[in-house]
Amino acid sequence: MGFNMKKIIPTIGLVIVLGLGLAAPPRAFAQASPDEKLFQEAKLLIFDKKWETALDKLQEIVDSHAKSPYYSQAVFYKGECLSSIKGRERDALQTYKEYIQLPDANPSLVEKSEGSIIDLAYALYDKGDRPALKDVEGRLGHPNRAVKYYAAYKLSLVPDKAIASKAVPVLEQIIRTEKDPELTDRARIGLLRVSPESLKSVEGRRPATEEPRMLRIRITKKGQKEPVLVLNIPWSLADLALGAMDEEDKAAMRSKGYDINKIMNDLAKSKEKLIRIEGDDGTIIEIWIE
Amino acid sequence: MKECPMKKSDWLAYLSGDLEEGRRTTVAEHLKECPECRKEEAELRRVLEGADAVKGEIQQALREVDWDALPGRIADYVYAGAGKPEKLSAGERVRMWFLQAGLRPVAAGIALGVLLGSLGMYLALRRPETGPGGGRGYYASGEFLDRAELEMARRETVDYLEKSQYVLLDFFGTPSGQAGARPAASVAQARELLSKKKYLNRELEKFQMAKAKAICDQIEMLFLELAQLSDDLPEAELAKVRNLMQDRQLLLKISLVKKELQNGV
Repeated sequence: MGFNMKKIIPTIGLVIVLGLGLAAPPRAFAQASPDEKLFQEAKLLIFDKKWETALDKLQEIVDSHAKSPYYSQAVFYKGECLSSIKGRERDALQTYKEYIQLPDANPSLVEKSEGSIIDLAYALYDKGDRPALKDVEGRLGHPNRAVKYYAAYKLSLVPDKAIASKAVPVLEQIIRTEKDPELTDRARIGLLRVSPESLKSVEGRRPATEEPRMLRIRITKKGQKEPVLVLNIPWSLADLALGAMDEEDKAAMRSKGYDINKIMNDLAKSKEKLIRIEGDDGTIIEIWIE
Repeated sequence: MKECPMKKSDWLAYLSGDLEEGRRTTVAEHLKECPECRKEEAELRRVLEGADAVKGEIQQALREVDWDALPGRIADYVYAGAGKPEKLSAGERVRMWFLQAGLRPVAAGIALGVLLGSLGMYLALRRPETGPGGGRGYYASGEFLDRAELEMARRETVDYLEKSQYVLLDFFGTPSGQAGARPAASVAQARELLSKKKYLNRELEKFQMAKAKAICDQIEMLFLELAQLSDDLPEAELAKVRNLMQDRQLLLKISLVKKELQNGV
């Protein structure tokens, strides 16, 4: 980055401390109580990513100030610290599970905890703990849509297709019912990973529009028979796919006067639906729609 | 009845225009005089025209042919029908004419020609599609999908930073003492942004975006605080934070990170 990141972090830190003061109960504006003092110190340490020291302070609140107004938040931030300490993922998972059961748990922190539980369970599975994935699978039916969708997205990353395919119904639901392209595009990518035929089916059920259905890209390097890139993807992912192409290929296109916008416009408006670009190094890029 | 001297094997060559000139004239002359041959010639011509008309169906049938079992099935069919003594219809007579010993190689040649011609047309007209993604369905390699998600994360991080700026401006940007300066909308937006941030983590953790992750994590923590706030904040306290934001040019610094991401990871 072109500026000193060290300067910005303390700045936001101060903002958070002030924010914390605003969020605290009215008595916090008077003399700070021991539990409040511990909590504020812990938050600053978390901000500086001093997880172990912050954890000690939060643990003290949990152990010695069970009736403190900061108790439930201390449990949440304890989970944050543990999840950032290598090897403590399992403890972090348990701490988040404990937090979401607390009667005064804040809805925003509960949603964040659910997301962290999914991330931690996936990380444990990735390290060989197969049963850990049950915490992800179990959230496919979660009443909170944000949690359910995130569980499906995460499950689609599992290399075992038999397990990953359990995410398919939720991913299909996202494409059918959601409008936010950030969600629908991720769901499409998830289905492309797990079950391209399901994506084809769900796209086929959408109302017919003027838009093309599929973008196809073939890139062949000079002297090679087989293409180095083969893509058949829904048109809605076209812009993203063109943006994700290899820098060399993008440079070859630029040298011939093509950028992503021009290609998208040419494909969407022109009756000539095949774009063929031959780079100076002999690379042949073919892009067409169906 | 006198047997017709015309060699029927010449007719296929005659009909296809391949017969040498002298022989062609002989056949043509004979056809003028022999009603029997003329009738059979007309039927044969119709058969050949019919073969052209069913090329499309043949293309479909070709895909379903069991080529290994086909010779056996043809032989069974021919020998099963060979001993039937009953009177034949015109069509059957043409068929039998085709299957008579002398013309079998010619008939087989025609059939094979039609089949190979149709197959050739099919192969020539369709787009050559081989290897992964060669079919009509969707396809993208896992490696490319990873790249696509990285690209998506880059764009969404820019969007995240942009919206974060708006939330911070809304929350802290209202001049002190202005009536109605309440952060309810900002709190809702902060919650929405918190919900989106988790999708970015996987790509942000990759080396190329580690610096962007640092600032996004800090903003996330700030939003966690904002998300817990109520809308009855003391104005004096809001003013303190607002002034601090201006003094430290926090929004400007977020803009700089955003600009770098927009220019590529």
